[in-house]
Amino acid sequence: MSTVDTGERRRSGEHRPVITELIDETTVQSIAEDAWTALVGEDEILVPIPGELPGDVVSSWVDVVGPWTGTVVLTTGRETAAGLTRALLGEHAPDELEDEDIVDAFGEIANVVGGNVKAALPGPSALSLPDVGAAPAVRNPADLCRVDVLWRGEPLSISVQGALPALPVH
Amino acid sequence: MKILVADDSRVMRQIVIRTLRQAGYDDHDIVEAEDGADALAKVSSEKPDLVLSDWNMPNMTGIECLQALRASGSAVPFGFVTSEGSPEMRDKAATAGALFLIAKPFTEDTFKEHLDGMLA
Amino acid sequence: MRALVIDDSRAMRRIVSGTLENLGFEVNQAGDGREGLDVLEGGYVPDLVTVDWNMPVMDGLQFVSAVRSNPAYRSMTIMMVTSESEHTQIVRALAAGAHEYVIKPFTADALRDKLALLGLLPQEVAL
Repeated sequence: MSTVDTGERRRSGEHRPVITELIDETTVQSIAEDAWTALVGEDEILVPIPGELPGDVVSSWVDVVGPWTGTVVLTTGRETAAGLTRALLGEHAPDELEDEDIVDAFGEIANVVGGNVKAALPGPSALSLPDVGAAPAVRNPADLCRVDVLWRGEPLSISVQGALPALPVH
Repeated sequence: MKILVADDSRVMRQIVIRTLRQAGYDDHDIVEAEDGADALAKVSSEKPDLVLSDWNMPNMTGIECLQALRASGSAVPFGFVTSEGSPEMRDKAATAGALFLIAKPFTEDTFKEHLDGMLA
Repeated sequence: MRALVIDDSRAMRRIVSGTLENLGFEVNQAGDGREGLDVLEGGYVPDLVTVDWNMPVMDGLQFVSAVRSNPAYRSMTIMMVTSESEHTQIVRALAAGAHEYVIKPFTADALRDKLALLGLLPQEVAL
């Protein structure tokens, strides 16, 4: 095992940061709170206490591609996602919510939270359109910033997760 | 005045319209578009006085729509309402001919700040 | 170090192969995902595969999915080569099993830097 410093990493123009070097939980929490206040309601509060997510969950996410590449994922119980949708639709909420309404609203919240996370990260970067479904898997546990909150007593998690696998140790 | 609101999210279009009302601009005609291509077509057919557009949309993005409008000689006042409010996005928006970029999440005060003087 | 360059554009294959050869790689080429699999099945298992995304017959996503399910190819590092407009495909490609990506047009230095991070630069070049 060589202890000689070849200077390779310094010469290499590229350092690949993991998310924890770029953003912290407090910032993500704050971004989410701003989104909730504006979209869901002025008096809405996100309590930074983890709750146990139910078995039936749904996620919405947007991808960020740039100096840091990964995904901002929101995950919550299906009922909670429906509640969020109603809150966003306000007086326009129909008696029966369609799946399409939930995809639209939950996706848009991911878009707003994701867009603001993107803006806090080094650029230039691109943001994808939102998607809704089963959460993308975490590729590298070391490239992860996760915030767990309670909204109206219901658990919701916001995960900023890198898409690249961990670099090989060499 | 006629305002065109373009966003692929129906929920967000409603929120923008609601916020316009809350900001005191409740006396205007609103037209909705669901993507950049739809917005481009509606600028032509509806002749709005102002376009409020999202950035990221399928079929044609807001920036592509604005570029197409300016390329065709349209000077319609255009502002972005988008989840990405970084300095480089604002630069891109301004370079393409947008009058402002409102970042989501926004409040009625943000709307008043940017739209007072443009809307009665 | 061995590399396999998969791209339906002959010009792109020539450029990427040239860069890799200058970095000390032995390089083989394929014109689509199917041909790429044939090269692997023929016994040439490279350390690095660069794969274009949009290709006829078998595209990048299909190639990556086919390769990742085979334990014999686990040691290969797969680098996706994509264009700016395809950025939304990148995370999907990574989720399917690609390890890295590079956006065209890219400089030889940019590619070299990524390979250095991945520990794939042949030693004579690294020192």
